[in-house]
Amino acid sequence: MKQSPVELERRRSLFGRGENTTVIMLLVGFFAAIVAVQLIIGAIGGKVGYPSFIAPVNLVNILMQVSAVGMMAMGMTVVMIGGGIDLSVGMLTSLVVIYLAKGIMDWGIPMWAAIFSVIIIAVVLEVAMGLIISRFSVEPFIITLGGMIAFRGIALLMCHSQEVSTKGRFAVLKDNLIAGAKDPVTGLTLNLPIYLIVFFVITIIIWWLMKYTKYGRRVYAIGANRNAAYLAGINVKNTVLSTYALNGLIVGIAAIMLLSRVNTAIITTGQNLEIDVIAAVVVGGTALSGGKGNIWGTFIGAILLGSIANGMNILRLQSEWQFVAKGVILIVAVAAGAAVQARRERTLQLKQIK
Amino acid sequence: MSDEVILKLNNISKSFPGVLALDNISFDLKKGEIHCICGENGAGKSTLIKIISGAYQPDPGGTIEFEGKPVTFFHPSVAMKLGIQTIYQEHTIFPHLDITENIFVGMELTKNGMMRKAKMREKTIDVLKYLQSDLSPDALVNELTSGEQKIVEIAKALVLERKVIIMDEPTSSFSVNEIDNLLGLIKKIKETGIGIIYISHHLDEVFKIADRITVLRDGKHVITCDAEEVDEQQLIRYMVGRDASVFYHREFYKPGEVVLKAENLTGNGVYDISFEVRQGEILGFAGMVGSGRSELMTLLFGGAEKADGKISVMGKEVDFKNPGSAIKNKMCYITEDRQATGLFLIHTIARNTIIANLVNTKRLVINPAKEFLVGDKFIKELGTKATDSKMMVMNLSGGNQQKVVLAKWFNTNGDIFIFDEPTRGIDVGAKQEIYKIMMNLLKEGKAIIMASSDMPEIVSMSDRVMVMKSGRVVGQLSREEINEENILELSIGGKKI
Repeated sequence: MKQSPVELERRRSLFGRGENTTVIMLLVGFFAAIVAVQLIIGAIGGKVGYPSFIAPVNLVNILMQVSAVGMMAMGMTVVMIGGGIDLSVGMLTSLVVIYLAKGIMDWGIPMWAAIFSVIIIAVVLEVAMGLIISRFSVEPFIITLGGMIAFRGIALLMCHSQEVSTKGRFAVLKDNLIAGAKDPVTGLTLNLPIYLIVFFVITIIIWWLMKYTKYGRRVYAIGANRNAAYLAGINVKNTVLSTYALNGLIVGIAAIMLLSRVNTAIITTGQNLEIDVIAAVVVGGTALSGGKGNIWGTFIGAILLGSIANGMNILRLQSEWQFVAKGVILIVAVAAGAAVQARRERTLQLKQIK
Repeated sequence: MSDEVILKLNNISKSFPGVLALDNISFDLKKGEIHCICGENGAGKSTLIKIISGAYQPDPGGTIEFEGKPVTFFHPSVAMKLGIQTIYQEHTIFPHLDITENIFVGMELTKNGMMRKAKMREKTIDVLKYLQSDLSPDALVNELTSGEQKIVEIAKALVLERKVIIMDEPTSSFSVNEIDNLLGLIKKIKETGIGIIYISHHLDEVFKIADRITVLRDGKHVITCDAEEVDEQQLIRYMVGRDASVFYHREFYKPGEVVLKAENLTGNGVYDISFEVRQGEILGFAGMVGSGRSELMTLLFGGAEKADGKISVMGKEVDFKNPGSAIKNKMCYITEDRQATGLFLIHTIARNTIIANLVNTKRLVINPAKEFLVGDKFIKELGTKATDSKMMVMNLSGGNQQKVVLAKWFNTNGDIFIFDEPTRGIDVGAKQEIYKIMMNLLKEGKAIIMASSDMPEIVSMSDRVMVMKSGRVVGQLSREEINEENILELSIGGKKI
């Protein structure tokens, strides 16, 4: 009786075990559901085989599809842990891919200079917003909403509202690193492009940054309690600014990877990307209020949301259904997280009475 | 006070998994009576009022009667319909509405679906007049002081013709004048026959207004008696179950070197402050709420811009641009509101412990395992009640949260400690522990600057006291001169106390 609330709490503590339980369970549940449906359909049809949804080639496929959103979700996680949010990432992506395609195809900028300047542009624009957010303590929601609208305009002006094809100039980023490898299940060619590696590398770096560095501690502290962070000697303004700068860097890289995959720059390249990115972060357990969240949660969240479209496709469902499924999963994930929180509050109440 | 009982609780118990918060409590409230409930933190006061206000359901077995009729199903809406109003510690008002709108929110007077604004305003004016308040019915509530906001809540109870008003620590963050004013009002409204349940840590308030007093301890009923029958010492004995002395008896050490010196310090709402603090002593800052104590502390710590004057640490002049540079100069600041400005509630004890020292470490990489070791070390050293440093701070009691704040600063190896309200909202036992920790600091040759509105604390803990009023120091008291009368006399000005 005496130790139970404390003991319970210890097991649920934020940075202890089980912090990603909800999102992992959802991912496993979703995969199990699709596989089950596939098996049932197969059984009815009389040909039971290995479910194609979990064939290695399809799993790699899912990772490739989520890599751009996943990368951006890493930057967004840092911003959101620090108590901010960035609605402009989608349109910023459109802006820089159009600049990149235009620069190389029409303006004659050398490839390396174009790529380098894309990253500079993304960082500078994010820093501009970050400066306003951190210096004037205004709502990041509003500032980045303004950024989103303005970036859209700039992007449209650059491309005269038309699409720009890169005609395969970025094919190097799509090069298969394991050329010749075959999927043992389906016999199809396995593909491991560079941008997938970049996604993993960014994930690991950001995870390390947030978990093992002084910088990470400071971002978490600011998100949890700005005033206390300031009085603990943290330079709140510059740290907040840096989260946006870091986000710009990642958006720049992700945009280049995205262009290499889709080969065409158009205003819709980044449209609604911010929704997918924020959804992945939130499903992964990061709090909108800041101070709470972790990179692996976001990683799993991005894969979960990304595999929905893929799973629907494999089941030959109308693609419109993916939005319904995504929405439901987002709501379930956050509601389940809140339910865990409520249980935690109850234990808290008990202890206060004691 | 008549003998007519409005509210009666018989054998009420409330258990939560693993805890019996209320154990067979009987309680009654008469018409026109002020009934105070006293007890240490965790005695069950809050649980009891939550049952009366319908927020908690009592365990089966007990009964509740209202005006002689048993109430079977209790729920906040039922309580409200019966005429029970709870005024909580934290405000439950709508800051952007004016007083009239706040009073009538949810209960608007209407005629054919249209609001009767004039009528509502009129009623509000009447009530405010009755309460002898010069507030305008059109004043926006967020522009009122917390004392005035409480008056609005009382006005609301009167307009809605409540029969029972429950007040939970209504005077926290009040100035002395506001407290007296509120206590006067409470006495006045009881004349209308309203029964009032009043909960306060401040025994002087209790004795000023109580008709009857009920003491709870560990969820059990200790005694209910008329206020005249007991005195403060007795009441404390009932509350703690042992003879508690109001004043802490500390040892005094011979002060050493001057470690911090302020000369004509001005800024952040304080003016022309000069003092010095030595190793091994506590310099107390007394004064009423709003006298500028906390503002001075923040200014010393670099949390606000200095307009004029000089601060020297260890004989060297410093100019803190931000708290980070104060920390580098071995200063520590235990703020008055630990939840708002001291702690990261959703983080672990370990993370809270290491955060302030980051500014002193050159290493950029952190080993989380070491972090937990540091956290655990301070849990042991300070006797924090937690299983280990992986626990979230949110789930600790006030006293233990304060120890986490201390751990955060001890980890920086600071020498100059600013304590603003070191024991606010902490129960008696934990208070003593905090005092002991402060004495240990002095023994180690650290210096302490302590701002406090807790009179016994200032009187018993300080080596010297500076009394502040309206942002200025109005007097200094040496150890021999420190007593409640002297401090009060200086802080409210003039000789009329």
